[in-house]
Amino acid sequence: MKTSEQTDTATVKLSGRKVNLIFTSLFMLLALFLILDIFLGSVSIRPSEVLNAFFTNSHNGFQTIVLKFRLPKAITALLVGIALSLSGLQMQTVFRNPMAGPYVLGISSGASLGVAFVILGFSATITPDSLTGLGNWILVAASWLGAGAVMLLIMVISSRVKDIMTVLILGIMLSSGISAVVTIMQYFSNETMLKAYVIWTMGSLGNLTVSQLNVLLISVSAGIILSLFSSKMLNALLLGENYAGSIGLNVKFARAVIFICTSILAGSVTAFCGPIGFIGIAVPHIVRILFKTSDHKILIPGTILMGGAVMLASDILSQLPGSETVLPINAVTSLIGIPVVIWVILRNRKYSGSF
Amino acid sequence: MEMNSKEVLSVDSLRIGYGSGKNENALLPPLNASANFGELIAVIGRNGIGKSTLLRTLTGLQQPLAGDIFYYWKNIRDYTRIELAQKVGYISTEIVKVSNMRVYDLVSLGRFPHTNWIGKVEMRDHEVILDALKKTSMTSFAQKFVSELSDGERQKAMIARILAQDTGIMVMDEPTAFLDVASKYEILHLMHLLSGSGTKTIIFSTHELQMAISQADKIWLILENELIEGAPEDLMLAGEFDHLFDSSTVIFNSGDGTFSFRSDTRGAIHLEGEGNKRYWTEKAINRAGFKVTKEKTLPFILLPTESNFFWQLVSENEVQKFKSLYELIGYLSNSAIGII
Repeated sequence: MKTSEQTDTATVKLSGRKVNLIFTSLFMLLALFLILDIFLGSVSIRPSEVLNAFFTNSHNGFQTIVLKFRLPKAITALLVGIALSLSGLQMQTVFRNPMAGPYVLGISSGASLGVAFVILGFSATITPDSLTGLGNWILVAASWLGAGAVMLLIMVISSRVKDIMTVLILGIMLSSGISAVVTIMQYFSNETMLKAYVIWTMGSLGNLTVSQLNVLLISVSAGIILSLFSSKMLNALLLGENYAGSIGLNVKFARAVIFICTSILAGSVTAFCGPIGFIGIAVPHIVRILFKTSDHKILIPGTILMGGAVMLASDILSQLPGSETVLPINAVTSLIGIPVVIWVILRNRKYSGSF
Repeated sequence: MEMNSKEVLSVDSLRIGYGSGKNENALLPPLNASANFGELIAVIGRNGIGKSTLLRTLTGLQQPLAGDIFYYWKNIRDYTRIELAQKVGYISTEIVKVSNMRVYDLVSLGRFPHTNWIGKVEMRDHEVILDALKKTSMTSFAQKFVSELSDGERQKAMIARILAQDTGIMVMDEPTAFLDVASKYEILHLMHLLSGSGTKTIIFSTHELQMAISQADKIWLILENELIEGAPEDLMLAGEFDHLFDSSTVIFNSGDGTFSFRSDTRGAIHLEGEGNKRYWTEKAINRAGFKVTKEKTLPFILLPTESNFFWQLVSENEVQKFKSLYELIGYLSNSAIGII
C-alpha cells in the first residue's frame, strides 16, 4: 500500500509541473501578443522606431502613435479580455450553465441600457469621448447597475428553470427586449446623442481617454481581486448549491460576491468599449480544455492569461496588419468565439447538463 | 433529559416542512429521534412522506419550522456553517455532473471547511484525501474524471469526499438508489465498515427494507402520524412495518422479513422433504397461490432426493414427474385439480 500511495503523490505532483508549463507558455504568448499589438498597426512603423518611441524623447509622429494610441489600446484590449473572460467563467460556474456569458445572457445588453440612459437620456453634452473624471464614473456606475439588474433577473430565472437551453433562450429574449427599449430611446433623442450612442455600440478598444482607461484599470483590478477571493467558493458551487451548503459555504454570500464581481467586470468593459461578444463564453472553455481541470485556483489565473491573449490577438487581427483597413472588433471576437460555442453545444448533447 | 454519553444526535419535537407563517406547510407531526456514536441508522418511509426533507433539515440546508436538533449536545442553531460542516456531511440523490473534475479534486472539496481562504490543499489535507480514497478503494481512480465513472464508482467517490470532510456524522439520501445489485451491496458494506469501526454515525434513507432490516443498527420508521425508532428486530416483533403497506394487497411476513402479494388461496398442499429444496419449493408454491400444510393431502409433492432428481406430484392413481420447479408450478397454476 505504501508504494501505491507514493506513486499517487508523484502523479499529483507531476500534473502540477505540467500545469506550471502551461502557465509559463500562456504568459509568454500573452507577452508576445502584447508586443505584436504595439508593433503592428494600420500605420506601418519600423520596429526600431517603436523602440525609439519608448526609450528616447523624439517627439515625432511615430512616438505619438505608439504612446498615445497603440499602447493605451493594447492595455485596453488586455483589460477587456481579462474582464469579459473572468465574468464568463464565474457565470458559467454559478449558473452551472456552459452557455453562460455576459453577452449571450444579456448582461452586456443590460449594461448598454445603463449607458443609453446616461448618453441619450441626460445631456447632449455627455458623450463617451467628452467624459472626464466624475462623468466616467457615472457612466460606469450606470453600466454596473444595468448589468446587475439583468444578472439578478437571470438568477431568478435560473433558480426556477433548470434547463440550460431555456435559460439561454430567455437570455436572448431579455437582450431583444432591452434593445427594443434602447431603440425607443434612440427615437426620442437628438442627432448628436444618437451618433455618439451608435458609435459606442459598434464596440471599440481605441477610443478611450486616459481618465477612462484609469477607471477601467481600477474597476478590472477590483474585479480580478474579487475573483481570486472567490475561487474557493466557485469550486464549492461546482457541486451545486446543496452540496456547497453542506460543506460549509454560505451560498447567499458567495452568490452576492460573484454577482457584484461579474457586474463590475462586464459592466465596466461595456461602458467604455461597447458590447463585445463571445469572448466571455468562449475563453473559459478553451482554458478548461487546456488545463483539463475544474479547479478555479487554476482556471482563474488561466482565464486571466488566456482572456488577455485572445483579446490582444483579436485586436491584432482587426487591424489587418499591412493594410490600412480596421475591422470592427466585435466581428473578430465573434468569428473566434462562435466556433468554440458551437463545439460546446454539440459536445453537450452527449453529456447533457454537464460542463 | 437523561444524559446519554454516546448520543451524538438528538431530535426534539422537530417540525419539518416548507414556508412560514400562514403558508407554513408542515410535512409531519413533531418528530423525536436520536442517534448514538457509531450507529448505522436507516430511515424508512413511503415516497413523499418527508424523508429527504428530514435529512436536509438535519444537515442544516433547510430551517426547521419548530423544535430542536442537537449535535453533541449543542443546538444546531448555535453552530456556524463551517462548524456544522465539520460535524455533519451530506450526500443527496443529486448526481454531480462536472466535466474536467478529477476524483481527487472532488474528494478534496470535502476539505472545504478545513482549508484556508483560497482552499489550498496542504500536506495534512492531502494525507486525509489519500486516506479517504484508500478507505473507499478509489485510490487508483484518483486521476480519473468524475464524468467517466460508473454509478457505483461515483457514489464511492462521493463517500470518499464526505470522509475527507472528516465529520463524525454522515447523512445520506438514498445512497444505493440508482445502483446495480453488486454496487448496492458494495456501498452498503462500505457504510457498514465505516460505522462498524465505531468512527462514523451514518443516517441514510432507503427503500430497500430487507437490506435495512439485516444491516442497520437502528431504524427510524416514518409513518403518517409518527416516527418510530428502534432496532429492526424490535420493530419487526411489534409488527410496525405492517403500517408501511396497503394491507389489502401486500403481506409483510414478520416471521422472515419478506413480502408476498395477497391473492386468493387456491388450496393447501402437503410437501414431503427437507432442507434448502423445501424452502424454495415452499416459496414457489406460495407464489402459485397454494398454502403448504402439515396435514397429508392428495395429491402431495415429493421433493427431489439424492437418488431421485425429480419433483413428484403424487396423486391417488398416478405420479407425475417434473424436472424443475418452473415446470411444477406451470402445471399447478394451470391445473384445475381439486386440492383441498
